[in-house]
Amino acid sequence: MRADAAHLPGDIPEGLIEPSLTVGKVTPGSLDDQVLAFPETRPPKQWYIGLAITLTALFIGLGFIGYTFVTGIGVWGNNSPVFWAFDIINFVFWVGIGHAGTLISAILFLFRKRWRNAIARFAEAMTIFAVMCAVIFPLIHVGRPWVAFWLFPYPNQRALWTNFRSPLLWDVFAVNTYFSVSLMFWYLGLIPDIASMRDRTTSKLRKTIYTVLALGWRGAASHWQHYEKAYLLLAGLATGLVLSVHSVVSFDFATSVVPGWHMTIFPPYFVAGAIFAGFSMVVIVLVVVRETMQLKNLITMRHLDVMNKVILAMSCIMGYSYMMEGFTAWYSMNEYLHHGFMNIITGTYGWAGWLTISCNIFIPQILWFKKARASYFWMIFVAIGVTIGMWFERFVIIVISLHQDYLPSAWRIYKPTMTDFGILLGTFGLFFTLVLIFARVLPVIATTEVKAILPDAQPSHHGDDAHV
Amino acid sequence: MADVNRKPMMDRAAALVAGPFLLGQRALSLVFQPDQGAPPKTLKEAPSRITVTPPEHAIKRRG
Amino acid sequence: MKTRLPEHGPLETPQYWRTLEERLETPEAQRAAHDEFLPGAAPGTFDDVHGLPPSQSGFSRRDFLGLVSATAALAATVACDRKGQGTVVPYTRRPVEVVPGVANYYASAFQEGRRVYPVLVKTREGRPIHLTGNDEHPGVKGKTSPRTMADVLRLYDPDRLRAPKAGGRTLGWAEAESQLHAVLTGAKATGKPVLLISGAVVSPTRKALLADLKAALPTLEHLAFEPAAGDAAEEAAKASYGQAVDLQPRLAKAKVILSLGADFLNGEDPESLAAWGAKRRLKNAHEAINRLWVLEGPLTLTGTNADQRVPVAPSRLGAVAFALAKELSTKAVSLPAGADLSAIAVGVPQGVDIPAETWSNLVKDLQHAGRNAVVLCGAQMPAEVHQAAHLLNAMLGSEAVAVRAAEPLATVKDLEGAVQGMAAGHYAALIFWDVNPAYAFPRAAAWQEAVAKVPFRAWIGQVEDETAAQCQVLLPENHWLENWGDFTTEHAEVLQQPTIGTLYDTRQGEDVFLGVIRALGGHAPASYHVYLQGRWQQTLPLGTTFEQALHDGLVTSESKAATPAFKGASVAAAAQHAAASKSEGLELVLFPGFATHDGRHANNSWLQETPDPITKMTWDNPVSVSVQDAKALGIQEGDFVTLSLEGATLRLPAVIQPGQAKGVITLALGYGRTTGGVAKGVGANAYPFMGLDPTRANVRGGARLAKAGGKKDLSRTQSHHRMEGRDIVRSLTMDEFAHNPKGHYHMPELVSLYEDQTFPDHKWGMVIDLAACVGCSACVVACQSENNVPVVGPEQVARGREMHWIRIDRYYEGELENPKVVHQPMLCQHCDNAPCENVCPVNATNHSPDGLNQMAYNRCVGTRYCGNNCPYKVRRFNFLEYTAYKTEPEILVNNPEVTVRPRGVMEKCSFCVQRINDVKIRAKGDGRAILDGEVTTACMAGCPSDAIVFGDLKDPKSKVAQLVNASRAYRVLEEVGAKPAITYLADLKNPAVEGGPHAS
Repeated sequence: MRADAAHLPGDIPEGLIEPSLTVGKVTPGSLDDQVLAFPETRPPKQWYIGLAITLTALFIGLGFIGYTFVTGIGVWGNNSPVFWAFDIINFVFWVGIGHAGTLISAILFLFRKRWRNAIARFAEAMTIFAVMCAVIFPLIHVGRPWVAFWLFPYPNQRALWTNFRSPLLWDVFAVNTYFSVSLMFWYLGLIPDIASMRDRTTSKLRKTIYTVLALGWRGAASHWQHYEKAYLLLAGLATGLVLSVHSVVSFDFATSVVPGWHMTIFPPYFVAGAIFAGFSMVVIVLVVVRETMQLKNLITMRHLDVMNKVILAMSCIMGYSYMMEGFTAWYSMNEYLHHGFMNIITGTYGWAGWLTISCNIFIPQILWFKKARASYFWMIFVAIGVTIGMWFERFVIIVISLHQDYLPSAWRIYKPTMTDFGILLGTFGLFFTLVLIFARVLPVIATTEVKAILPDAQPSHHGDDAHV
Repeated sequence: MADVNRKPMMDRAAALVAGPFLLGQRALSLVFQPDQGAPPKTLKEAPSRITVTPPEHAIKRRG
Repeated sequence: MKTRLPEHGPLETPQYWRTLEERLETPEAQRAAHDEFLPGAAPGTFDDVHGLPPSQSGFSRRDFLGLVSATAALAATVACDRKGQGTVVPYTRRPVEVVPGVANYYASAFQEGRRVYPVLVKTREGRPIHLTGNDEHPGVKGKTSPRTMADVLRLYDPDRLRAPKAGGRTLGWAEAESQLHAVLTGAKATGKPVLLISGAVVSPTRKALLADLKAALPTLEHLAFEPAAGDAAEEAAKASYGQAVDLQPRLAKAKVILSLGADFLNGEDPESLAAWGAKRRLKNAHEAINRLWVLEGPLTLTGTNADQRVPVAPSRLGAVAFALAKELSTKAVSLPAGADLSAIAVGVPQGVDIPAETWSNLVKDLQHAGRNAVVLCGAQMPAEVHQAAHLLNAMLGSEAVAVRAAEPLATVKDLEGAVQGMAAGHYAALIFWDVNPAYAFPRAAAWQEAVAKVPFRAWIGQVEDETAAQCQVLLPENHWLENWGDFTTEHAEVLQQPTIGTLYDTRQGEDVFLGVIRALGGHAPASYHVYLQGRWQQTLPLGTTFEQALHDGLVTSESKAATPAFKGASVAAAAQHAAASKSEGLELVLFPGFATHDGRHANNSWLQETPDPITKMTWDNPVSVSVQDAKALGIQEGDFVTLSLEGATLRLPAVIQPGQAKGVITLALGYGRTTGGVAKGVGANAYPFMGLDPTRANVRGGARLAKAGGKKDLSRTQSHHRMEGRDIVRSLTMDEFAHNPKGHYHMPELVSLYEDQTFPDHKWGMVIDLAACVGCSACVVACQSENNVPVVGPEQVARGREMHWIRIDRYYEGELENPKVVHQPMLCQHCDNAPCENVCPVNATNHSPDGLNQMAYNRCVGTRYCGNNCPYKVRRFNFLEYTAYKTEPEILVNNPEVTVRPRGVMEKCSFCVQRINDVKIRAKGDGRAILDGEVTTACMAGCPSDAIVFGDLKDPKSKVAQLVNASRAYRVLEEVGAKPAITYLADLKNPAVEGGPHAS
């Protein structure tokens, strides 16, 4: 952070000078008071109402998961040939949501996009929560969840080993790695802030907890030196993961022989889709956080504008991918592929295909307008649309491809059950419960990182002395 | 892999848990004695098994 | 250990004691003093802390040690995640016949209506578990019908009545029989008639027994009631031959077959299927093939296999058939003496849509084939169609059908007479023996009323049914696998012997009647076994013993039944009738259910879940509507409709049946039972629609159909019926076979980056000849029985979760009104590059060195990825727990050599690996190589037309290795590159072409 605080050359044209990333007068002290104070105050009534709603959803989901455990996954709508449905749709959906966080915190960090500093913490927290939602599904979707641990290559007296040729196994590794690296990265960034909170708090209990969590951080120069190194290394690791995790998830499909799955475009297409969905979710949550937690001066309209631009860019990539799918189906002259593509736009589930295309391609085009990018209504509209669209994209890929594959005799319609919807609701409950709790107990903005990008954080030629 | 001397971790863990659990259960049952005067519970009727008998006078082809 | 001694006064002399009890001189202690190891004789001091008497605390050192060892034992077993499945104990006294782990085979026989199925029963540890045809029988040659194979399940039906019952009370046989005997003695004394209603009598010994019974009880009246046999056939036989006859096609001799609604390929008749298969499994186009013409209203399985099929409403079939006879008579095929066809005009009858070219081809075919042509008529068709068929066969002098005199069956008219007799108080008693007229008689209300007027009703049967509900005394009967019996078939006298001791306190019906004879003062041996053996000893050919006959299951003898002569004089009336026959409104055709037959199999879940070969429906009898009528009435697949006819009305789901003649609707009998754990409430009872005129009881004009609102989620195993132009089932005409056997399909060479798998010893493979496969589904049932395939029920089937390891895919092609139909057995293809194998994260499915794609159920976690990646979609997943909650007697039918799969596990065809290994072990024991044809899969053994060949592809001389290179050979979805181990041989059709060869 401080390493990149290079001296700006004296005569930079006005347009190239990065405008301030905060609004109004923000000093390091005021920043601490603003951000680190939240855990010290009582949550408002709305927070409790929100938590009650999300917890209800969570427990509904848990109830349905329990029902599934006791009875078997026959309580879902899955059938032959649609052996995977909501389970894997939800898994891919949630893993995808997670991607924005890592992208913001790691890739944008490496690219020195300083605007990321204000939102990285929250986005990364969302990553962790989304991955937590995602990992539920591989566990509960197997026929015999009590032996799901067999998916790990652990030494055992029966000399049984896993099949390293199976993409599902790669998934296990990819998601586990992703989750652990994300957690470490997130926690590492939290340490200086937790230390600040430790030093600020008057409550004995909090002090104890923060003391433990701060791992003895004193803010010494040597601490900072190690911290920066570790942060940079983890950012490098996480960067690779942003690309690898969803690529590996896409291998589940791309390496199979199912028409509509077996495509080389899947890895980049999945990664773009994940970033797309993730950014949309971040926009939704950040707008709420910005308004309810009075963080307008730190999470500025400029942040939202930049994120909306990313969403727009991803939407265009998605559009290209969809077109490529159609082109491949036509150009390959593969009748199965052709049938699969026609199914998306004209089949029984054609409505899902068109919903996906509309939500992911058509609606986000509104973001070409600066006004739309600056309007809560439009950005939330687009973001919710993308969230729905991306969920249905996975529905299209999984259900439509499976329900009519090679032998017409085996084709069958898929219908989800209450349990399918209940579990999906439950994961939303889990996600937002964790988001709500996070917002109240930990600093939602990385104060140390934002301090570095305050207008007067760097020595400048305008004569102001930097006071760090 | 198939090291015969290796004690399976699951077994050990189960023994660790099951032993104290059973002993504790037993100990509790001693403290909370069931009603002494109650008549002994009749054994739950075992599910009736069907007796399979070979056929009489039949001549088998092979086997 | 701290010990607190009870208060005792000082003892005068030192007394040493071992335990406190001994000190206190309790009786237990005194006993224990003599018996050191008496159970529980441990010192009670351990628990003295609680101040309780040791006997009450019950916590001895022995208990403590027991607990410690139990802990250790639990810890040891905790690694096994399966719950206890009962105790395995050895026999204390092993029956001589039973060697644990070794199967015993017994020859026996099953009867269904007039048809007899000689079978070989496989038993394990004394339990019959699998049936195949008796390979010694010259007719069936080791084949049998799907319903026969499934009937082993009925032995273990938990609904079976286990002891006699009277007035809802279980009682002993002596008491139950005494009630019956008292009534019959009374009837004999008063001379009041007693009515016995039974199924068809095909057994000579049973016939003799009934004669003896009649002698002992002269007032006995007997009706042989077979509701699905077809009353019209019975009436027509009486008219054409003057007596009841049994027709057995001899298709081996047929070059041209004309079916008038006859469904002789529906699996019921293994002999016909074998002959059919033999004529269709062609190596090259020069081999002789037969030609099948089908004129029919409904689309039958036979119709789907026709070379040329024309939809004709059953009411017009008679006119068509007589017109054919007339046309032939003008072409030097002489009419039998006395036959008068003046009522019939020459040419295609009016209102029947048969193209002139087709008609002339058909006439030419029949004429040229002469005695090698045969005309077969469906049992349900009106009597005049049967008579026309009899006439045509007589004209052609057909050698391809055997007509034999048979015992007459009661028609609906006879039953109607009985009902009137009952209502008039004519009968003293009614005895029902293995029949269910209360369900199958069309006028159920009248029946019920009449039966109630008979003072005594006795019922002999297995599962309490609608008829049993009206009877006072219920006598539980053996399943036929516990019975003695014999049957006459065309080529042999067949024996039925018990293959298991009776499971419950049941007897066979014959034994009850022997008891009746004795009670009435007649002479009868103690058991039917003795009775049967006595009769057989007299008639056995020289050099044969009864034991030998039991061993073989039969004694070959050409049928002694006379061949009745055709009566030409009967033709005129029938022809007039046929010419006048028209149908108003929709014509309802009632035919026996593929699974349920006349309803007797309705409680068999294997059969209920076997898809109907045409509609692919399970667990239901929807009404089939023709494409044209469905369009006119606005009916869609699955819509509920109201079917009404002469006061009878039913609300049913409809399916649209391509190929069904316009104006024809069909409905299966045998559903809508009100009793039986499985049968109850499945489908709707169609018997109320049956007519009371026996000449056309099953074909009813004037039916009305209307949408009733609502839609049913059909329990159908196939919902898409077009092939979408894909190269899945190849079908060649004989012309194409001769000139372009590979068809228009081009398969580029498939290249792989990887080396091919190598198979050191064996490489198991299969060839399925689609020309021989008719789609009868015998393989499906055989597999279900062999591999413990679970039944999932109608809701799960509707959800797409049926578990059959082999399914028959049926595709329609061409015009909807009369499509070409193909059948394709689809099972695990055991691909060399199996896409399912590399995606399994835990290696639960992998490849064996002999080319099997195998499943390790224990290892399966249930990710279902393999199911997704299977291009053939032949993997089956246990979405719910289908097996674990089953108890005896149901589980007794399980094959002990095949694992029963729990919930959450993927399963699929194993190529009957247990059979392969059985042969392997045997060959190794003998120190020899495995012979070709020695390994048979259950589907192959069950296939009556021998369409399935299994063997070792590494053995160049094996049949299967030779067939994979046949000109008709292809592999399904070869372009996917999975390298399936199953090769299909293209279907063959032999349509008549103008100027082409006619059979001669």
